[in-house]
Amino acid sequence: MTNKGLHIALFFWGLVFTSCVQRIDFEVPPAADQIVIEGSISSDLEPCTVKISRGLNINTDSIVNQPVTNAKVVLFDDLGNAEGFTETIQGTYQTNREIQGEIGRSYHIEVELPNGNLFVSEPDTLRATGQINNIRYEYEARTVERYSETVAADVFNIYIDAKTSGQGESYVRWRFKGTYKAETNPELRTIVTPSYPVPLKSPLPCSGYIVVSFVPGGKLEMVDECTCCVCWVNHFEVSPQLSETQFVEAGKFNNIKVAEVPINVATFHDKYLVDVEQMSLSKNAYEFFSLVKDQKENAASLFQPPAGEIRGNIRAVNNNSQVIGLFYAASISKKSIFLQKSDVPYPLTAITFVTDECTNYYPDSFSEKPEEWD
Amino acid sequence: MIRLIIFISIVLYPLFGGAQSIVDFKLNATSDGQTLTSILTDIELAGSARCFYLPEWTDDFVLDKSCVGMTLSEALEHLFQGTELNYVSPYPNVIVLVRDPKNAIRRKEILVSAQKQGKQVSAYRLGEKRVGIANTELSVSGKIIDESTGESIPFVNIQVDDSHNTTTSDEDGHFELTVTSGSHILSFSFLDYENLLADLEVYDQGEIEVKMVKNSRELEEVVVHGTILKEVTTSRIGQTELIMKELKNAPAFLGEVDLVKHVQTLPGVTTVGEAASGFNVRGGSVDQNLILHDGVPIFNSSHVFGFLTAFNPEAVREVTFYKGGTPAEYGGRASSVLDVSSKDGDYENWNGKAGLGMITASLMVNGPIQKGKTSFSSSFRSTYSNWLIHAVETNYADLSESAVSFYDGTAKLSHLFTDKSKLSITAYASHDSFRLFGDSTYKWNNRQITAMFYHQFSSSMGAEFVLGSSGYSYSVLNRDLLTASELSYGINATTLKAGFNHEGRFGKKDFGVQILRYQFEPGQLKPRSSSSNTKSVNLTNQFAYETALYMTDFRSLNDRLYLETGLRIPLFISMGPASIYKYRSGEKEVNNISDTLTVRRGRTVKSYIGLAPRLSLRYMLDKFTSVKFGYNRMYQYLHLVTNTTAVSPLDVWSPSGYYFEPQRSDQVSMGIFGDSKSKDYSASLELFYKLIKNVPDFKDGAQLILNEHLETELLQGKGTSYGLETSFSKNKGDFTGTLNYTFSRAFRTVKGPTEAESINQGKRYRANYDQPHNINFSWKYDFSRRYALTGNFTYQTGRPVTIPLSAFRYENTTIAYYSGRNQYRIPDYHRLDLALVMEGNHKVDTRVKGRWVFSIYNVYGRKNPYSIFFQVSDASIPQPYQLSIIGTVFPSVSYNLEF
Repeated sequence: MTNKGLHIALFFWGLVFTSCVQRIDFEVPPAADQIVIEGSISSDLEPCTVKISRGLNINTDSIVNQPVTNAKVVLFDDLGNAEGFTETIQGTYQTNREIQGEIGRSYHIEVELPNGNLFVSEPDTLRATGQINNIRYEYEARTVERYSETVAADVFNIYIDAKTSGQGESYVRWRFKGTYKAETNPELRTIVTPSYPVPLKSPLPCSGYIVVSFVPGGKLEMVDECTCCVCWVNHFEVSPQLSETQFVEAGKFNNIKVAEVPINVATFHDKYLVDVEQMSLSKNAYEFFSLVKDQKENAASLFQPPAGEIRGNIRAVNNNSQVIGLFYAASISKKSIFLQKSDVPYPLTAITFVTDECTNYYPDSFSEKPEEWD
Repeated sequence: MIRLIIFISIVLYPLFGGAQSIVDFKLNATSDGQTLTSILTDIELAGSARCFYLPEWTDDFVLDKSCVGMTLSEALEHLFQGTELNYVSPYPNVIVLVRDPKNAIRRKEILVSAQKQGKQVSAYRLGEKRVGIANTELSVSGKIIDESTGESIPFVNIQVDDSHNTTTSDEDGHFELTVTSGSHILSFSFLDYENLLADLEVYDQGEIEVKMVKNSRELEEVVVHGTILKEVTTSRIGQTELIMKELKNAPAFLGEVDLVKHVQTLPGVTTVGEAASGFNVRGGSVDQNLILHDGVPIFNSSHVFGFLTAFNPEAVREVTFYKGGTPAEYGGRASSVLDVSSKDGDYENWNGKAGLGMITASLMVNGPIQKGKTSFSSSFRSTYSNWLIHAVETNYADLSESAVSFYDGTAKLSHLFTDKSKLSITAYASHDSFRLFGDSTYKWNNRQITAMFYHQFSSSMGAEFVLGSSGYSYSVLNRDLLTASELSYGINATTLKAGFNHEGRFGKKDFGVQILRYQFEPGQLKPRSSSSNTKSVNLTNQFAYETALYMTDFRSLNDRLYLETGLRIPLFISMGPASIYKYRSGEKEVNNISDTLTVRRGRTVKSYIGLAPRLSLRYMLDKFTSVKFGYNRMYQYLHLVTNTTAVSPLDVWSPSGYYFEPQRSDQVSMGIFGDSKSKDYSASLELFYKLIKNVPDFKDGAQLILNEHLETELLQGKGTSYGLETSFSKNKGDFTGTLNYTFSRAFRTVKGPTEAESINQGKRYRANYDQPHNINFSWKYDFSRRYALTGNFTYQTGRPVTIPLSAFRYENTTIAYYSGRNQYRIPDYHRLDLALVMEGNHKVDTRVKGRWVFSIYNVYGRKNPYSIFFQVSDASIPQPYQLSIIGTVFPSVSYNLEF
């Protein structure tokens, strides 16, 4: 019912046909002055990663981060050990696994920017986590209103059953990630020039095709393998899924809905990989994700509650810069399943071809086949 | 002009010839108990002295012991003090008593002029003139009633002999005056009533009944005159009577006259947005206003999400609004009281009113069932907005599946058993139904039934008994196949009140007891079809009792100083059944529950008792100026659990209990009120400071509906507000108007043990209603007896909001970074409205009277923001949009018929 308030307002637009909705701009401090720090350490054998970027302008159309480079980042544990991070790609820093996450230990980071501004995270303790016992899915038929039309928006709801480690953890988060295989047809690309009204075939070079004849419209010939026709696309969770004790019965979490997988031609072109991670958080980290969840779930509504200021556990030490971020420690247990195309109770037929490079067309996509895929 | 009447002025050669003067004549013990006439006769008989006087002047004066030993001149000065009599002694052996005729002439002039103007003049005589009564202070009490309905009229201004000896009738229409024996003219004035003059001859204590007549013509000057007199002389600071007639003249959105919209124009009152329900008083939230309808609380006063108020103005007799100096009789809310009384039917004739506006039609019929004894009044208002909606074509959506409808109705039966006993029974109901594009239907209802019994036990003791029940409920019906469900909520309050008033020698006392029983149905969600996947949720019903003892003492310490002191002792008990969740280390989080306490039905969960003193003081600097001071403490045990700025019909009322502590407000206000000598102009200035303890606020993004762990989302803190309210009025002439300016601030501080339990890191922040500058200017220009142009201009500083400042990416999600709570403001609000009022025939004997009101709302078409909301952009960043409900000029017309 979160959108009802807005609908009510727009309803009155219809009622008295005099109301109006318009953008309103406030004078706010420049977003680029804000430093954003994201990082975590787990008990996995993965290097610890920290990403540093700048805030995005509220009016931006792009969600591409502005990375902060050449920062000095150091990881500390509560035994006094320290390990420096190396910048692997712009704005992304990794350790060399000298310090590994251990249950019961606390960790924090220090970040020094090239201008000398120093930021420190509060120590976060790595706690044991339980495990996910089962992942299930259920088909749900849905429709949505789009441009005054009712269109299908069916989903698979993903549920898990899980249990705690029995070590009294209270703050549990489940992180969902979906992956599906997508295909595009860059060989079918055409261009239209003003001087020649018939579309000309113009396959992308990575498609493996070339135009061999200049008859009207042209003729294609395959000369190599396509290297940009297939990619794998990630779906990330819309909002973090967090534990609430009303679900708990003797250390068990049952029927927790962690995600909705949209059913369409693209997502079920092949099959769909569901990854769910269970992690045990500190109270600080839990509150951070809890505010993120509230913000994501209370979308546009006239009667919406005010969203809160999300700060996290990183503080500026020798400067007054705005910093937002969280560096947290969590042990992680993981479980995956595949949803097959045959699970969809009706045939899905492609109607249009995408003629761009696959990774260009699909956001959050990559071209290396995931290990789990075969 | 002072004219002396000297009956005889004869110049005689001194007969005493060198002896002592007559005025030095010593009074001996035999003069004790004698009338002045016999003393003067004795003096004449004793020698050659001559006394010139009329015995009818001197018969009333009796000498007492205190006069023994005095000279005649001393005795006369003592006796004549404060009277119209005086003496001269042109020669030692002559004394001439003279009478200043100024008052007699003035009195005659007033009576003659009143008769010429056709004003009501009633003659009263208390006691018989008798020897020795002269210059005696006598108490005159009385009751003021409406001549046609027999209803008592409260707050009537009473002025004695054009002096600053004034008083006001109390809530039950009673008054008490102290006057010297003799003749006086009492002037009675009240809104909507013809001024009445009482030609009073008083020679004994006694009681009079004053019958006032409703204005038969639309003489606004009389109305405004009454208001201003009252403003200066009423004892309470922060009390306002709403003038129903002015309400009907004011420009109104969609031509619909609205009670709450009028309250919003008063100094110190603000609103969170156009067409928002409720109002905010001196930095308080909407739920801090107690709205009473015939003595019982009403929980939602709005139709269609606040577009209109759920009271039909035609059914309302009187509205009193208290924002400071609240009498001890009222309690249970922290900021203000809006006391609405419904109309009695006419006891003599059947009559009615019908109104036709842009979206509503109303009908009111009233008259006698038994002439002079039993009357009935009924009003009903409904909308034809469904028709309007379906007629509108919009590209946004198909509105044919949408619907909006509402109605409200009041029925009142009143019976006069004797002239001292009256019973009235009121039934009231309002209903709203709202369906949106066919998926969800919102419905909400108010209902009330009240019986009120008044009885005057004696001339000094009266009582009022109220037994009533009121309730509010809503439901949201979702018809979607897979999620079909019904969400419902309800609150019921049963009120029992016994209030007494006693008038004694030293003033008046009000005292009584009030008992309220609440039943809350905090929420139920039920699936509505077999294929619905909605989970059934049913929160346990809650029960609570709120009782209060109160007493107020009203007294005039002297001609200038009036004092009202009161005490209210409220006791609130939250009752079982209830499940109390205990939290580890005191931190209230669902993850932190360590234990559950079960309280059985009928057992106490938690009780709170308080002492709420009240004080009102008025000091008349002169006849035209008064200074007032008020202090009140109020407790609030019911809280509107909401974290939206505008009231939504889905808000729930929650009682104080194990975790939710009562709010306590302490307010001090003082002001100066003045009229010009001609009463053409009046002005006031008021200052207030208010502190509220345990004011509720909620965690960021709290979910409040169907939440059985509400305490985990609740924060309580401190509220502070202060301000200056000024008002200037022109009350007479073709052009009348009022300009109000208020400067006020309202802040909150919520500092909990952790950052999550604090707001803005525990620092002071602006309350949602912090709108520092507030200007309201309303006026009326009569260009003839039948045509008037009225207008209203309003300006308010934009209210505070929380907005996204920037965005950032974290774990592949775009997250908005919001400012601290309420750190920004929406643009300022201002609007001009105009209306042309066309009255029908003014003749008193006209059977049918019509009235047209043509209004233009938002004359210069300002797009005032009603609300700020956020729409997620393509880059997943919430961006602020403003919604202007009335974004353009909006003309409307309404027609009212009185028959």
